[in-house]
Amino acid sequence: MLTRLIVYLAYFLKTSKRYQRTKLFFYDLLENPAGRLKPYFDIFMICLVMLSVFLLIYEVDHKLGESEVLFERCVISLFIVEYLLRGWLYSDNHKIILEHYEKAEYLNIPFRLGKVAKIIIAKKIKYIFTPLALIDLLAILPTYRPLRVMRVFLLFRLFKLFRYFNSIKVFARVLVSRRFELITLGVFLGFLVFIGSTAIYLFENPANGGQVNNLFEGFYWAIVTVATVGYGDIAPQTTGGRIIAIALMLVGLGVLSFLVSVIVSAFNEEMDELRENSTYAELNRFKDFIIICGFGRVGQHIARQLEKDQLNFVIIDTKEANVSKAKRLGYLVIHEDASKNGVIQNAGINKGATAVICTTGNDVINVYITLTSRHLNPDIRIISRANSQDNVKKLYQAGASNVIQPFEIAGMVVAEYIGQPVAFEAILGIIREESHVIMETLCVHSGSLIDGMSIDGINFEQRKLMLLGIISVNPVHRKHKNSYPIKNQHFYFNPVPNFVLREGDLLVVIGREYAIDHFRDRIEKSRLKNRSQR
Amino acid sequence: MKRIAVFGYSVMSLEAMSRLDREQYSIVFIGKDENEAALVAEKGFATQVIDFRNDEALKSIGIGTDVDTIFCFYPRDFDNVFLTISARAIDKNITIVAIVDDPESAEKLLAAGANKIIDPYEICGRKTHEMLTKPDITNILDNTVFGRHDLNMAQIEIPKGSCLENTKTSDLKLNQKHNLILIGVVDRELGDQLHFAIGEKEHRLDAGDILVVMGPAKEIKAFKKEIEQC
Repeated sequence: MLTRLIVYLAYFLKTSKRYQRTKLFFYDLLENPAGRLKPYFDIFMICLVMLSVFLLIYEVDHKLGESEVLFERCVISLFIVEYLLRGWLYSDNHKIILEHYEKAEYLNIPFRLGKVAKIIIAKKIKYIFTPLALIDLLAILPTYRPLRVMRVFLLFRLFKLFRYFNSIKVFARVLVSRRFELITLGVFLGFLVFIGSTAIYLFENPANGGQVNNLFEGFYWAIVTVATVGYGDIAPQTTGGRIIAIALMLVGLGVLSFLVSVIVSAFNEEMDELRENSTYAELNRFKDFIIICGFGRVGQHIARQLEKDQLNFVIIDTKEANVSKAKRLGYLVIHEDASKNGVIQNAGINKGATAVICTTGNDVINVYITLTSRHLNPDIRIISRANSQDNVKKLYQAGASNVIQPFEIAGMVVAEYIGQPVAFEAILGIIREESHVIMETLCVHSGSLIDGMSIDGINFEQRKLMLLGIISVNPVHRKHKNSYPIKNQHFYFNPVPNFVLREGDLLVVIGREYAIDHFRDRIEKSRLKNRSQR
Repeated sequence: MKRIAVFGYSVMSLEAMSRLDREQYSIVFIGKDENEAALVAEKGFATQVIDFRNDEALKSIGIGTDVDTIFCFYPRDFDNVFLTISARAIDKNITIVAIVDDPESAEKLLAAGANKIIDPYEICGRKTHEMLTKPDITNILDNTVFGRHDLNMAQIEIPKGSCLENTKTSDLKLNQKHNLILIGVVDRELGDQLHFAIGEKEHRLDAGDILVVMGPAKEIKAFKKEIEQC
């Protein structure tokens, strides 16, 4: 009966949307490094920990008032709630239950609740013994009155800060990555201190005229000497003791420098990753950005243009020289191979990236990056560079939205320049926005003043605009001549005066920037007005 | 008919040659060896093999006499600079279009006497940027003006004694009469700069002024003919 109830409950949790949502919310809040609320929560907790520790220091020689005690209680309850929540998030009980239940059903063997309970408890115990959970626990426990002795452990709360500071985590990770060297050094140091303390006790005990009264004092002296601190409260008097001191000091110097070098070199190795982490963190803050793979000549031009437009972008390149150049220019850069799934995923292809540009000089790599990106995100815009004509088709096949051929475009530009320099410069000038005359598209929103209007009625001339044509997918317009199919749309060049605009059409106009902006504002306003009237 | 000599074998030179209208231009490809010449000749272009470092050889292909324009499309900048200097020394009025590999060489090429410098990487970078920021417009231009459809942009000079002389630009009404859109006018009275036809200023056309129009190739041709005949 109990078993059935629990299995039923597990199924209920599995299907409950609200439960999933709640769990996801707390996961985002507490554990998910990319969670939106997590940074705020972390800062809040850091402040709380600091305040509670200050309160502890204040308590040393003051009596706590009622409000302070209340505050302390609140902090502790928050700590407890956090601890329990993290325990809850650590594993999904209902999943474990269901997994075992379904397995038992399938194999036709009896489902044993006890066994599953053991697994669940083992999981939770594993959580309790993770280092960070232990620190959390030690930060909570001392407030329990009978355990007042553990008061000093209240300082463990400071260790709780580990959770909220990424840099501390990195420091811990660096130390862990060097644990072999550190353990070796520790063992050696242990031996050294052991030999030193026993030797000094043997030579310098009061019977020999020394100051070392017991083994603990010998140990204390050995540590002070090895660490090259040398308070001088205990000093060797005998020749034997002094020889020990000399040896211990020299070896101590060596050990210390070794320790420093181990840590420094470990940090050096991690430095690149740290920098990259800060790049990722910065990317996470952007709502939209562009990924540029390859910072060669083309990539550099693109980056410069995007910088001018104040658009966000990140560069991925494998070449050291390109990476350092990008860094010098102050761009965000990831020194990695963009063809690896993980790299482009970490860069945020599914988290805010709006477009991927493959502009390496190697078509093989471009095809590969295009394929990878398309696979990871079916909707993203991918613009890829083809250095050879033969590869254009392959790039489209790999999923590129647009393919650019540098030499072909340049050839075309030359031909246009020779044929019709004025016309060509005009169109280039418009596109590049060098003059204040620009070419823009204006969307016909439903309910705006131009929706359902004919071209004649808009009077572009009076608005100081030139209408080139209309882009539309609407089949209503098909009867008009002068239409040019472009991908899945049609471009209607020089539309007739009685061409009636429909929702979703795009007007292609040329004009001064402010004339276009003004007209766009009018369209927007009329749309909002009509909506509010409705 | 203008005569163009193309130096240097690359994707770019082939592209440029194939884009040029062969009715208007006579194109000759100058190869540095027979192999190159054979490859280009396969595509139906006239070819010649010379050593571009030799002034006499340059003269022999018509530089200084009947070649109006040269394209310096060698992959290495110093070759292009050398060719530009040689050609400029022979003919002061020749139009020289050169590509650069290293942006720093652009100045040197200009100093050597080139009229137009093309940086393929820069153009490609700009193009990508346009695609990103204005996809609709780039799409239209790529598919029409620069592309396969017959929608073109053209510049038309007003000939002497044309009936369009003394016409106001607002009276042209090209979009109604000819299915063309007037993009802008170069009014020689006001200098060489292009004035966009966005209803800001009235221009009175004179001989020598240039109309920049956009429209189907057929209509552009018809319009040109009409101007010349009337």
